[in-house]
Amino acid sequence: MANIKQTPIRESFAKRYRARFGHLPWFKRYECLIPLSIIILLIGFLLLPPLGKPTPLQWLWIGVFLILLILWVVGILTDIEKPRWIRAIAAISFVFVLGFFFYRYSGAQWDKLTTNFFNLSVMEGLWGDLGQGLLMTLKVALVSMCISLVLGLVIAILRSLNNPILNVFLIIYIDFFRAIPLIVLVVFVFYALPFLGIELDPYISAVVAVSLSYAAYVAEVIRAGIESIYRGQVEASRALGLSSMQTMRLVILPQAVRVVIPPTTGLMVGLLKDTALTTIIGLPELLYKGIQNTIWQSNPTPLVAAAVLYIIVLLPLTRFSGYLETRSKKWVKTAR
Amino acid sequence: MGEDRALMIEVINLHKYFKDHHVLKGLNQKVYKSEVVAMIGPSGAGKSTFLRCLNRLEEPSLGKILIEGTDITATRTDINKVRTEIGMVFQSFNLFPHLTALQNIKLAPINVRRMSEKDAEERGRQLLKKVGLQEKANAYPDQLSGGQQQRVAIARALAMQPHMIFFDEPTSALDPEMIREVLDVMDNLAKEGMTMLVVSHEIGFIREAATRILVLADGCIIEEGTPNEVLKHPQHSRTQDFLSKIV
Amino acid sequence: MMPEMVPSPPTGGNKTRPSWRERFGHVPWFRRYEFLGGLFLLLLALAFFLPPFGRPQSTLVWIEIAVYFLAVLFWVGIILSDIEKPNWMKAIAAVLIVLVFGWLFYQYSGARWDKLAHAFFNWEILSATGSYGSTTSAWIELLAGLWLTLQLAFFSIIFGTVLGLILAVLRNLHDPVLNFFLTIWVDFFRAIPIIVLMMLIYYAFPYLGITLSGVVSGVLTLTLNSSAYISEIFRAGIESIHYGQVEASRALGLTTMQTMRLVILPQAIRVVMPPLASNYVAMLKDTAICSVIAILELLKTAITLQSWLANPTPLVAATALYLLILIPMARFSSVLENRMKARGVSRALASKKG
Ligand SMILES: Nc1ncnc2c1ncn2[C@@H]1O[C@H](COP(=O)(O)OP(=O)(O)O)[C@@H](O)[C@H]1O
Ligand SMILES: [Mg+2]
Repeated sequence: MANIKQTPIRESFAKRYRARFGHLPWFKRYECLIPLSIIILLIGFLLLPPLGKPTPLQWLWIGVFLILLILWVVGILTDIEKPRWIRAIAAISFVFVLGFFFYRYSGAQWDKLTTNFFNLSVMEGLWGDLGQGLLMTLKVALVSMCISLVLGLVIAILRSLNNPILNVFLIIYIDFFRAIPLIVLVVFVFYALPFLGIELDPYISAVVAVSLSYAAYVAEVIRAGIESIYRGQVEASRALGLSSMQTMRLVILPQAVRVVIPPTTGLMVGLLKDTALTTIIGLPELLYKGIQNTIWQSNPTPLVAAAVLYIIVLLPLTRFSGYLETRSKKWVKTAR
Repeated sequence: MGEDRALMIEVINLHKYFKDHHVLKGLNQKVYKSEVVAMIGPSGAGKSTFLRCLNRLEEPSLGKILIEGTDITATRTDINKVRTEIGMVFQSFNLFPHLTALQNIKLAPINVRRMSEKDAEERGRQLLKKVGLQEKANAYPDQLSGGQQQRVAIARALAMQPHMIFFDEPTSALDPEMIREVLDVMDNLAKEGMTMLVVSHEIGFIREAATRILVLADGCIIEEGTPNEVLKHPQHSRTQDFLSKIV
Repeated sequence: MMPEMVPSPPTGGNKTRPSWRERFGHVPWFRRYEFLGGLFLLLLALAFFLPPFGRPQSTLVWIEIAVYFLAVLFWVGIILSDIEKPNWMKAIAAVLIVLVFGWLFYQYSGARWDKLAHAFFNWEILSATGSYGSTTSAWIELLAGLWLTLQLAFFSIIFGTVLGLILAVLRNLHDPVLNFFLTIWVDFFRAIPIIVLMMLIYYAFPYLGITLSGVVSGVLTLTLNSSAYISEIFRAGIESIHYGQVEASRALGLTTMQTMRLVILPQAIRVVMPPLASNYVAMLKDTAICSVIAILELLKTAITLQSWLANPTPLVAATALYLLILIPMARFSSVLENRMKARGVSRALASKKG
């Protein structure tokens, strides 16, 4: 940067300016951005309506404001030569304006936020109840995880035998349970099967539905993992004199496991998330407790608390499985 | 040498910084028509950066670059227009994987030169023939070997009828048996009188085809001369060192 | 092996057995016909000692049945995993395991099979009446529910894609401040279960003065949820394009817009299509969750009809409708994915050659 200033010293400002910024398209130049900032500020302070539901004309101004703002932000952020502090201001004000607009024009009564949404006095004595719900959620999830992993593994192994007759049935199973929405399956097991004389309590119904469904996903993931092992690997191990069992144990499985673990972890996190669907059959898990208490208290704080608990449990897990997945992608890349 | 010929490239005091990293330290150079200038030097010397500054794939930090008399560092210059006069061949081919060999070649003539579909097609097939790939016109890049891909890339550069071509290590991603086929194509181009700037460590090719060698180290041209002079009697100790490693 | 054996057995040729041992002697014990045949007879005999028809009452009986099934599975697995067993034997084994499973399910699930036709496939009840106060038949109501399901999916997909694209473009600016907020957005909506978000919007927001209709809440939830996933898909698509592609286009003199239109987008679309398609299929499935906020889409309609008619046929019909639509879509999206994978592999091999 320092060197650019050394270019011929006695040039006019305009010429120096043009040499420095002339290559930029119009919307990234300062002569466009500075007036634009002023216009945006003027609209913002003079024309935008105060808190509450805007009229159509005011909506129009909000729209114009947003479009200009986006132009302004894009002009600044797409140009890596803009100083860092200008970029930071642009980004922060963009996010701030969006948040502020939501605050102002969503029609929400923010004064009710603490009494209706985060009312800790309502929660008094309910934490234990929610905790039990969370325990039920975890119990259903863990049991279903175990069953679906084992069942999925069995199905995947049976599929890897490549028997055409068996495959027909396995593919039907996998296609059926992957295509049907889990909530439909849950409802079906709990509400329809009793008409056949198969009566299962909500807990068993939930475990059965979730396990059957996720076993199909697990089976597909494991099969893809086994198939992803390059055939050259088998040939190389055979050439080294390894038996087929040794090849499986020493070469295929270690690689397959590395390939399979990230997507399987993702599936298991999804399973934990999907246990919330069993609320519909009255299983007393976390969401159900949140809803029940919301109804009893006529205050949605328990529901909000349940949502927060879900986030606390699930966010780290989602991050973790995403991390595993990116890492495995890198590994696959270097392995090629 | 060659003062009677047209001046194609003139570089005056070219500096390039990446943040605080001073990569090119005041290069001066003139290239005349039909010269084949080979650039050698250790990795990280700034050879690629130099080439890429010449068609402004990198912005020069300071200095002047004249391509056929046009100052490309000036703001009013339409760089895309200059780029059409400069072909560029990359180490990693950079063919467009969603287009066939022929479509790769036709893309720029049609969209930049506004050539008619028919003319571009005809020209594309001629060029494929020239690089010995007429039967691969409809193959996608991932169906071609590395050497074939690089020859298509050369044909793609030639399709714009450039006045000069830059090669940045065109053979270093290739298996040995494919290097020859690419070098042959480049050899023919040199014989036809194309102005070429070549970063390459293929000493055999340089000895035969190059009219001049530049040795770069640490962002400076430390030595310059005919292949005979530089390869047989290197003056600078770093050149001797470098040559002993690659030969 | 065979040719060696024929010329001269070392101790004369008066035995008949050696050929059997010569043929199968190298096979480990559990793959020999002696063992498999014995096990088969044992399993056949045990079948007669299994408990009688009806749902077993004690855990012990359940374990007994499970062990029996696992033993059959073991037997079948041995045969199927052996390359040297003849094909007809493998076919029998495969059919056998399916039959045994079906038979065990039939015997011990506790289902009253005599009721199957009346309870699950009672088509008259569907065409005869609708739910309370309606004048049309249940069939029509189900189809109306399906139509609403498709509409929900359609609008969620459109809005989710647009929002996801905007987020991806913002993400592509690589601004640390924006990225911070984008990461929060994406993480939040990927972590929270859809049903929780939907209930929050539909049941909790009104307490804040934000009252949205069921359909709007549903579409909003699905849009927010999918925007997180779709933006990640687009981001991966944009990032998957090698920077050399842009450079090559620039060197040819293409303008920024031309580079985008002729080089980047066609490639990005190819990368993005398969995961996008499977995401859309998932969204169509997720519309079923809207039934918890009283939207009369397919599932909710089926549940309502079922309790009104006191017969689960509407639920069976709804399931069938879901499968009818979703299986072809899922198949299609996995075909896309496989094609993509195949291309990826051949490209990787090509660049290895290069
Ligand atoms: N885009 C870039 N950003 C930062 N540094 C770079 C960039 N490109 C190249 N460099 C640095 O510039 C130096 C010269 O690089 P290059 O011209 O590629 O060398 P050569 O082609 O001679 O091997 C190297 O030290 C490299 O690290
Ligand atoms: Mg280089």
